[in-house]
Amino acid sequence: MAKRSIVPFGPQHPVLPEPVHLDLVLEDETVVQAVPSIGYIHRGLEKLVEKRDFKQYTYIAERICGICSCGHGLGYCMAVEKVMGIEVPERANYLRAIWVEMSRIHSHLLWLGLLADAMGFESLFMESWRLREKILDMFDETAGGRIIHSVNQVGGVQKDMDASMLNHLLEAVNDIESDIKPVVNTFLQDYTVQSRLKGAGVLKKEDAVTLGAVGPMLRASGVEYDVRMLGYGAYKDLTVEPITSTDGDCYGRCEVRLKELFQSFDLIREAVGKIPSGDINVPVKGNPSGEYFMRIEQPRGEAIYYVKGNGTKYLDRFRLRTPTTSNIPPMVEILKGCQLADVPILILTIDPCVSCTER
Amino acid sequence: MKKTRMFTFAGRVLKNLFKKPATTQYPFEPAQYPERMRGHIRIEIENCISCGLCMRSCPSQAIRVDRKAGTWTIERFDCVQCGFCVAACPKKCLFMEKGYTEPDILKKSETFTKPKEEKKEAAATAGGKPAVDTEKCVYCTLCAKKCPQEALHVDRKEKIWELDEEKCVECGICAGACPKKAIELKG
Repeated sequence: MAKRSIVPFGPQHPVLPEPVHLDLVLEDETVVQAVPSIGYIHRGLEKLVEKRDFKQYTYIAERICGICSCGHGLGYCMAVEKVMGIEVPERANYLRAIWVEMSRIHSHLLWLGLLADAMGFESLFMESWRLREKILDMFDETAGGRIIHSVNQVGGVQKDMDASMLNHLLEAVNDIESDIKPVVNTFLQDYTVQSRLKGAGVLKKEDAVTLGAVGPMLRASGVEYDVRMLGYGAYKDLTVEPITSTDGDCYGRCEVRLKELFQSFDLIREAVGKIPSGDINVPVKGNPSGEYFMRIEQPRGEAIYYVKGNGTKYLDRFRLRTPTTSNIPPMVEILKGCQLADVPILILTIDPCVSCTER
Repeated sequence: MKKTRMFTFAGRVLKNLFKKPATTQYPFEPAQYPERMRGHIRIEIENCISCGLCMRSCPSQAIRVDRKAGTWTIERFDCVQCGFCVAACPKKCLFMEKGYTEPDILKKSETFTKPKEEKKEAAATAGGKPAVDTEKCVYCTLCAKKCPQEALHVDRKEKIWELDEEKCVECGICAGACPKKAIELKG
């Protein structure tokens, strides 16, 4: 047996966008075990729900993480609405769906850029982020902020999109769709990219289910599961087919995310076509009393929001189970047996979001 | 399947050579902000009644209102530009403006003081707890519906008009909403 050594990886590492620490147990260059530890960015945001009223907390929920901000605000608001028995107007549901799909596009393009950067493919990284800029500009125009959108509120949405904004959005989506083709071709067909991604970090279908993988990580292993199929909000009227891949390796996860981009383009077009007119929010009277589990599909996978109200304006408990939390056990599994040089790519393909995980 | 692709981004490289940069050359070129941009909070202090609703609504506790001194203070570096205070303001004297405030090396706050000569005028519209004239009141509940603090309890059947003095911020919206002009503000 070769001599074992331990290499610390992170929390500060060029490839990691956020701080997570891994102790990699190596035999020569092969990883035999990975021990993750988190706790570098804990901010106590769940506890803060006891100090801020439930309407204020929407803004704090949005700030749990920059990339998933739209989804966190939405998940929290939907959970509180279910507790209070509020029916959100249909137009608000469609606007929420449009914004969430836009944030999925921006999150996936960000991830594609980071993946390219982790491989050292600088031009592909720049190209992905150049495309992402268009979606961020649309967020700026429609919501008033590029990253933190502050559009959700308990009872609906704060801002409406008029016809010219929706047209701009469609133009931006069409632009991105036509510009993204060389990027997609490079990720899926380029020999160099394939040599880094194919066969790396294979997660078998049964392992993915047993270890509780979610989102693109789960779907890349061939499991047809997407929370949007439950039909929450506007998704009951929109066509959502889970996108899967059978490979279960890094290439499969990359393929799933690329195809989800096109799915999001289609969903935005469908939602813009079907959007009804009417109110965008309903007045909220009283305080939440009761509890509810809300599940939504974030760009990184299924997120669970639990709220418990006690009849006052301060909630008793807010709990968030983020996709990255569930994806850490499968990540530890795929790291076993890989080469040290592949570790950055394997960690990136779960699309880690440590800010969400630690809150 | 395996094929070597070359010059995939050559077209993009050529375009980039002859096109303007994708980014704006800020600060040499002024930034173009969209209409809805949440940049900073502006206050029209002369219309402010120091009710403190913005202070209580702020999730990041960036606003301080001193009722006696008539000042409104915002910690620019604590403000997260969520716009909740703008929605909460009963007098609509807070605005979300585009454009950021200037960067600085130290946390700084900005204090606005209500102009003294206008104090009397402001006191005419607001400045005291509401009291109802029971002869004029028709218990229509409009005042209770408009109250931003839910401090009024009106029951049409029982002919009850009650004020929760602790919740009341003396904004005077109830008096303005009353169709029978039955509410007076008493200091």
